[in-house]
Amino acid sequence: MPAEVKTSKKRKQDEQHDTAPGVFSKAVNMEMLSDEEGSEGEESDGQEVDEFPEIDANSDEESDFEDEDEEDEEDEDEESESEADDEDLLHVFPKAKTVVSDITGQPKRVYPEIEPEYDSDSSTEDAPNRVGNVPMHWYDDMPHVGYDMDGKRVLRPARGDELDRFLETVEDPSAWTSAFDKNTQSDKPLTTEELDLIRRLHAGENPDADYDPYEPTTEWFTGKGKEEIMPLSAAPEPKRRWVPSKWEKKKVMKIVRAIRQGRILPSKPKASAQPQFYAIWSEPSSSHPPPLPAPKTALPTNAESYNPPEEYLLNEEERKKWEETDPEDRDRDFIPQKYSSLRLVPGYDRFIKERFNRQLDLYMAPRVQRVKLNIDPESLIPKLPSPSSLKPFPTYKSLRFPHSARARCIAISPDGAWVVSGDENGIVSLWELSVGKEIRRWKFDGKVGSLEWCPRTDATFFVVGTEEALHFIIPPYLPPAIYQLTQTLLAPSTLPPTADASSPVKWSTAPTNTWTDDTPLLSIHLPTTSGLPIQIAWHRRGDYLATVSSGGGVWIHQMSRRHSQAPFKKVRGKVQMVLFHPMKPHFFVATQQYVRLYNLSEQKLLKTLTPGIKWISSLDVHPSGDHLIVGGYDRKLCWFDLELSDKPYKILRYHSRAIRSLHFHPTYPLFASSSDDGSIQIFHARVYSDLMTDPLIVPLKILRGHEITQGLGVLQVRWSNKHPWLVSSGADGVVNVWCN
Amino acid sequence: MGRLRQKGKAGAAKAYITRSQATKKLQCSLADFRRLCILKGIFPREPNNKKKANKGSSAPTSFYYAKDIAYLAHEPVLKKLREHKAFAKKLSRALGRGEWSSAKSLEENKPAYKLDHIIKERYPTFIDALRDIDDALCMIFLFASLPSNPRVPPSLIENCSRLAAEWQLYIMRSHSLRKAFLSIKGVYYQAEVMDQVITWLVPYQFTQNVPSDVDVRVMLTFLELYQTLLGFVFFKLYTDAGLVYPPPLDLKKDEAAAGVGAFVLQDASASTNQIPARNKKVVEIEGRQVTGKDVYQTIKNLTSTSSETNGTADGSTIPESSTTEIEEDFVLQPSKSDPQPAAPLATLKSLESLPQTLNTSLFSPYTFFLSRETSRPIFEFLVRSFGGRLGWSPTSGGGSPYDELDESITHVIIDRPVVDIPNESPEGRERRSRRKYVQPQWIVDCINAGKILLEDHYAPGKTLPPHLSPFGEYEGAYDPTAPLGEQDGMSVDEDENSADEDEDVVMDGPDSANAVALKVVAAAAAEDSADLRAAELAAEAAGVDPAVFEKEVKKSRKKIKSDTTEEAEKDMNKMMMSNRQKKLYEKMKYSQNKRAQERSSLEAKRSQIQKQARKKARAAQD
Repeated sequence: MPAEVKTSKKRKQDEQHDTAPGVFSKAVNMEMLSDEEGSEGEESDGQEVDEFPEIDANSDEESDFEDEDEEDEEDEDEESESEADDEDLLHVFPKAKTVVSDITGQPKRVYPEIEPEYDSDSSTEDAPNRVGNVPMHWYDDMPHVGYDMDGKRVLRPARGDELDRFLETVEDPSAWTSAFDKNTQSDKPLTTEELDLIRRLHAGENPDADYDPYEPTTEWFTGKGKEEIMPLSAAPEPKRRWVPSKWEKKKVMKIVRAIRQGRILPSKPKASAQPQFYAIWSEPSSSHPPPLPAPKTALPTNAESYNPPEEYLLNEEERKKWEETDPEDRDRDFIPQKYSSLRLVPGYDRFIKERFNRQLDLYMAPRVQRVKLNIDPESLIPKLPSPSSLKPFPTYKSLRFPHSARARCIAISPDGAWVVSGDENGIVSLWELSVGKEIRRWKFDGKVGSLEWCPRTDATFFVVGTEEALHFIIPPYLPPAIYQLTQTLLAPSTLPPTADASSPVKWSTAPTNTWTDDTPLLSIHLPTTSGLPIQIAWHRRGDYLATVSSGGGVWIHQMSRRHSQAPFKKVRGKVQMVLFHPMKPHFFVATQQYVRLYNLSEQKLLKTLTPGIKWISSLDVHPSGDHLIVGGYDRKLCWFDLELSDKPYKILRYHSRAIRSLHFHPTYPLFASSSDDGSIQIFHARVYSDLMTDPLIVPLKILRGHEITQGLGVLQVRWSNKHPWLVSSGADGVVNVWCN
Repeated sequence: MGRLRQKGKAGAAKAYITRSQATKKLQCSLADFRRLCILKGIFPREPNNKKKANKGSSAPTSFYYAKDIAYLAHEPVLKKLREHKAFAKKLSRALGRGEWSSAKSLEENKPAYKLDHIIKERYPTFIDALRDIDDALCMIFLFASLPSNPRVPPSLIENCSRLAAEWQLYIMRSHSLRKAFLSIKGVYYQAEVMDQVITWLVPYQFTQNVPSDVDVRVMLTFLELYQTLLGFVFFKLYTDAGLVYPPPLDLKKDEAAAGVGAFVLQDASASTNQIPARNKKVVEIEGRQVTGKDVYQTIKNLTSTSSETNGTADGSTIPESSTTEIEEDFVLQPSKSDPQPAAPLATLKSLESLPQTLNTSLFSPYTFFLSRETSRPIFEFLVRSFGGRLGWSPTSGGGSPYDELDESITHVIIDRPVVDIPNESPEGRERRSRRKYVQPQWIVDCINAGKILLEDHYAPGKTLPPHLSPFGEYEGAYDPTAPLGEQDGMSVDEDENSADEDEDVVMDGPDSANAVALKVVAAAAAEDSADLRAAELAAEAAGVDPAVFEKEVKKSRKKIKSDTTEEAEKDMNKMMMSNRQKKLYEKMKYSQNKRAQERSSLEAKRSQIQKQARKKARAAQD
């Protein structure tokens, strides 16, 4: 409406000015169809013009307009007054005086100070800073904050520290209504108008105090007495206004006919032509196999009864246990209850929850078809011959021979009558196997790492491995012939020529005049730093012996040639044990994880066996030479059939701690393993000569009798050659003899 | 060289699909996917190797068969679900705009899916469907007892209760109920329909509240399927039995809370008048309208068996089996060529009845009356399934064929504490003496036992005998009915220190108990010398010959030794088992031990309870 008013006003002006109506105004007229119609309104327009300012007093535009008018009037008045006063004042710049400078002596122009007068714009303003609306942080590093009207610096007002400011706020009651003025860099109190504005903004009101949102409507064109009486157009009413349309009728009739003929239905019939249920299984089904039916829920047991036998009720601790277990882990999802009569049975509160869980199982749980094993668990245990039918084997401890320290090693003479045992104090004892009487004792410096009896029957002596040396000792009470032979064997009158003088291994014979039975007749000094010989392995003929030092060095010594050699230049991994093959010129070397089989005559690697043990502790070869057992610190025992594969034929794990020693009986089908758990396991191990039959391994007996000391149990086991007797040495310093 | 095989193109990687992949493939929301899975019966699978199925990741995911999902993609229901999604959008738009008329017309043309094809697909034969209705029945009975709320509309509940009533009617008519069990969760029923064993659980009549951690949407989806399934199954059952499905509902009776009695079983041949040759018999539960047909049938029934006249005259259920069997029995025709009478041929009917010793007309000679505190739906169903007649008090629903004073009532099922009636009229006393009053458990125990039990143990106010599950337990489980015979010795063993227990044993049976005690003591003493001494003294005190005692000790020692060696041998032989066998063995042993422990703990408890009871009895005697 205001736009209209404006245009009308404009038009009036146009009329007044009598300017020729241009194309534009014509166009406007064209648009305003009601121009002519509102001819009588124009009169009222005239009236309204007078009222206009009054009504629209609040409008910004108008008030500005008014103010301007007033100002203009005032200005005009003043101008008329001042014009007469002074023409000079009309100059923008004041006149400059020319003076001679005191300093330079040159003339200079000096402008008078500007006297702000009443009518000047800045007369009322206090702001000395005239930099305008520039970012004030430009002056952050300056001592001033801007320039005043004269171009002089306005110095930054002194501002105290935070404490001063705080004290100021405390002292000044108007501090909370003042705000920081960027321009002057100081706090300025807010005016009441500004405070009111802030209050309004804060309250979410219209910031303009004069704005009235609920002013009464002004009816300009409608309302009482303003009804339009005369039609806007004199054109006669067209016929279409009252005659029903023929085409509409045709369209309607088409629909009517369709409805009558039933082509259009007023509302679709609910699909009830077919009965909801019918004989769905009467027609043949597809050939698809039906999906597996869901498993049915378990049927209720006696405990679920409302009146179960009394023993089904939970006692206090059972109930507590039931409550403590998670709902998923419970055997039953309910606590059995007993009610004396049916009317006392309450509703079951978890009914819906259980149905829901069943449904979750039905659609969310993966289903797997499992074959339920309906076998007796005892049938899983392999059927083995009874141990009693596999006698003889050692069953009880018959002798006990004590040592002062850990008895690390034992050796049994080839005739099976004598045992030598060595301990960590360096003491080697020779005693009788059948009675346990000590015959002789030798003392060595340092630990005794290994002992082995020479397998020769015509000469009798044994080898003791101590720190970096091997000592050959002749036991006492030998028949003279054997004694002679042994002596000549160990200390021949004519020494064989030394092949290599630079060999690090030194053979030394005790001089015959000083030698007694208590000292070794022959010693082999291994190179220093090689460490304790932890194993001595004799070749079956008794001419060669191999030693393994704790440093990992392997030496093969030849008795007849008094010659030692290191067979391997470089061995991958630390050598744990070596063994000569009982028949062939083969040599087993067990490193930490592998067992390698070398052919000594051809000097090449034959096989590498992988037992899958982390750390091999011991191995032994079957007297037939075709089977090998390997024990490890990780409790495993592997049986290798050397003809069959590089992988173990059988892996057994029965010891609860590391396996320490293994030994096959030379004549009986037996082998024994000892472990750190303090037990010795005797096995029956029958090997068949035909390749088709698998070896038969039957556990026979667990021998317990050694104590575990410092985590170590039975350190070595050895069989007697002739009898099914076993000698075992333990970390508790005891050597036991087990007999059948 | 063969073709290069790319990873993830064959095998488990192709055969399995994860759930998120499946939803992505089907382009539906997870909720829709769940709904589809429920309706189609698709469930996750466990691949043999998760890593292979999930591109090397072992994160926990559920896998589906890719084929299953591929079939789902062509599912008409999925199409309808998509249409429904569009419809929901349109409707919400119309409602948001306030276009009520278009909203209404949209609502009228709402897309709805049918599950008929799914039923046919999931259950190609009727037997398949019948085998799988256990869960459906449980749900129907549960929802029939639920209060309605905005999530569960009353129409749904009404439909569920109608289906439940139809099932019960069928079971009652076909006499196929076999077992029932009153548990703390509800009543378990087991029926045998077409050689399929169907077990369902009905909650007791209490208001069930849907817990907040239960997703009602899932339950409703299942219910949708179950309603359709049961509808088709019942249709088949009813039509096979020659009945009209759905059975018409008598509204007036329903309003009077007649329960299952509000349904009228109509003979299909009677309603269609097509097969008049068949045995026409309308079994109407309550209040039949007397029509010409009815009169005709009554006359026919009267002529067929005289024993049934009472039943029809009373207007109650006719014991169905007797008539049908008589009419359909194989009739022996004496052959003319063979002079000797033929041995009775085993007909299909008789073969069928041979193994099942149970008596489906167990209650037919009796008329029961339900006291008002007993649950009518449970006992009406039970009694009528076994051919009994039943009346109830008007407080537990209308339509009772007998009132309380009826002369034919033989048993009253009562479940309230006994109260003395101070001034009883003589005729009332006489009526009381004529009737038998039993607690409700009697009905169920009779059904499970297959015979009428002695009513005295179940008289009101008496401590009821324990109610045992008729479904049995696993093999070798603890049997509460078995006498505690073999456990006697064990109990003595346990508390041999207590003198009175020893006395007990001696008192029970001097000779046998003595021997048993001796044996046990000797066995126990064989280990330790101090115990041996004590046992000797005890034996002397009991007056046992020392020579006999010595012999016993020796024997037990020997036995123990042989036992231990055998055990040790077995332990050693276990060494030779492979790791896998060992694990399997351990597992089996574990479960065996657990069962044995359960059994022994129950036995121990029982013996303790018995001991306490004996003590109490003795104290009472003194």
